[in-house]
Amino acid sequence: MKKKNRNVAIIGSGMSKFSSHREEVNQPELIHEAVVEALEDAHLTMDDVDCVLHGNMELFEMVHQPDMWHVLGTGAWGKPGVRLTTGGTTGATLACAADNLVASGLHDVVLAIGFEKLEEGHATGGITNMADPLWGRSLQTGALTGTAAQKLIEQFGEERAKNAAIKMRIIMDEHAMRNEKAHRRLRLDRKYMKQIATQTPPLVGELRMIHMCSQSDGACAVIFASEDKVAQLGANPAWVVDHETVHREETLIFNSGKSTHRVAAERLYARNGITDPIHQIDVFEMYDPSAWWGVDWLGDFLLCESDEHVKMVENDQIAIEGEFPLNPSGGVQASNPIGATALVRVAEAAMQVVARRANTRCRVM
Amino acid sequence: MSGETEYAYVVEGKMALPYQYFAGAVGSKFLIALRDEKRILGVRCPKCETTFVPPRQTCERCFSDLTSHWVDVGSSGEITGYTVINYKEPYQPKEPPYVLALIKLDGADTPFAHILNCADGAQPAIGMRVRAVFSKEPKDNILAISHFELEP
Amino acid sequence: MSNKKEGGPELIVSRQILSIAQRFSTGPVMGRFLRELRDNKRIMANKCPKCGRHQLPPREVCALCSVEATEWEELGPEGAIRDYDIVYYSSPDPLTGETRETPYVLCWAQLDRTQGDAPLWHLLNAPDLSKVRRGLRVRVVFSEERDGTMGDIKYFEIIE
Repeated sequence: MKKKNRNVAIIGSGMSKFSSHREEVNQPELIHEAVVEALEDAHLTMDDVDCVLHGNMELFEMVHQPDMWHVLGTGAWGKPGVRLTTGGTTGATLACAADNLVASGLHDVVLAIGFEKLEEGHATGGITNMADPLWGRSLQTGALTGTAAQKLIEQFGEERAKNAAIKMRIIMDEHAMRNEKAHRRLRLDRKYMKQIATQTPPLVGELRMIHMCSQSDGACAVIFASEDKVAQLGANPAWVVDHETVHREETLIFNSGKSTHRVAAERLYARNGITDPIHQIDVFEMYDPSAWWGVDWLGDFLLCESDEHVKMVENDQIAIEGEFPLNPSGGVQASNPIGATALVRVAEAAMQVVARRANTRCRVM
Repeated sequence: MSGETEYAYVVEGKMALPYQYFAGAVGSKFLIALRDEKRILGVRCPKCETTFVPPRQTCERCFSDLTSHWVDVGSSGEITGYTVINYKEPYQPKEPPYVLALIKLDGADTPFAHILNCADGAQPAIGMRVRAVFSKEPKDNILAISHFELEP
Repeated sequence: MSNKKEGGPELIVSRQILSIAQRFSTGPVMGRFLRELRDNKRIMANKCPKCGRHQLPPREVCALCSVEATEWEELGPEGAIRDYDIVYYSSPDPLTGETRETPYVLCWAQLDRTQGDAPLWHLLNAPDLSKVRRGLRVRVVFSEERDGTMGDIKYFEIIE
């Protein structure tokens, strides 16, 4: 990425309650909860918003052109807007797009909305459609796979790998217990670490129900503004310094020595003078679709060469009170309204940066 | 282009997935009134002075909460637009040819689409008066109104 | 359909199955691969003239070098398991709408003579799940009736 034309900040965010059951609201009504909260948080009205971005997964609610249905709740009536749908990364794509739209000078204030009502569709069936119909569509089981577990078990031994995965799951649940909006708040007890995994149904290989992210209904809205607008509004900004995206060819999963996560982190750190991420980063928001992936991807994002990431889980370094707090809201393992999920990571990071957690919305106590 | 286009062919397939849609509290109240009482409800935005049918929780223009602003609208109204469906596909509510009309009910400011039955070759026209014919069986969707018909 | 909850207001839900007919064009490259399965019971991969890598599924262009991959070579039908998934979760096959019976095993097997990493992905017939492991030797078994789809491969079987 070249230099930004102008600086961009997050000046407000909102989230609905995340839950497996939101029968009392339809899709636009669910979205509206997050939009209203974001506008209040930023002290704005829809009149101040120049552009509305809408994102969710394809094929999840089986609704065509949801961005148009949802105008009832998004406030996009008569405004410019774009719908984005890039799978699990949709929420992050929304943040990248909002950053680009403001940095370029095309819009001063952009409202990015991520949404999913997973209760209404079949997430695994929908994701399975990502597979080539002529190649592996009949074989794919959505995003469920045991290969991350297998990899960790081979790297670190069965007992250590299994313990690390369930330890991460428990830490994420401890975080979720402190977040009233989180979906799964299970009160997992460290004393029963060994039993917790085996008492839940197996999904694929060593991936069990307890390891996997939840299927949530929920929405998240984040407001991005230009530097001038931040000054004019007297807003409390969380500056968006940089972002990076890396694509791979879908069928090429076995060919790359490095994961896309690692390549993205390398590029981002190189551009921003981060040479020691574990010590230079104060709080880390990560898309962790399962406890197994959580452990594995932590190593990728932090450019670990051996078992540093596993130790960080074992030593509670990733807990809120630890030296490297990871997903203080409970992360994806607790709440996963997929189209909103990655945007929630951005919103949570912004909230941490502006240090508002003590006085707003019981977020993290 | 590598290769030999004679190798290419077409594989028949399909996509089949279950889903559900929740009407929400506001949508449910509207559908239940249609089904159980044959009443058509709308909501009125006091700020925009607009009555929306079907109802919605929020005015999309001024964001006013409309959940406590219910109004009864008539079951008669006028055609604001129409089209004749001649093609056939499996997802249609009835056999073509049939007329889909935009109908603005008396007391409403927004039209909505429904089936218009025109008896004996009568031609629909914008501005014509129509009335709702309710379904005999209880239905949990907009087909609780079976169709509209031209007023005599 | 309605969702009447104890004590709460009735909430309406519409339950549907979306089922849409689709047609998929194989194109010449995948078309050749699938015809070879159907007509000759052969697993054919194409090969990058620059890096020498085989591609499964075959694609017109090398995914790494972006040059046309015009050579074809037969791989397998024997190979070794590179990765596998034992699936306990039952989900619909979106191509048919039918829910799959569990447990079943999927494997990615690197076929003999493959250059580079290009495992073939399919079901593994494994009556004894405890025997499944990486490195296990397997063989492609073709279906009796073949129609030019991936179903022309019935499954991998374990070579005893």
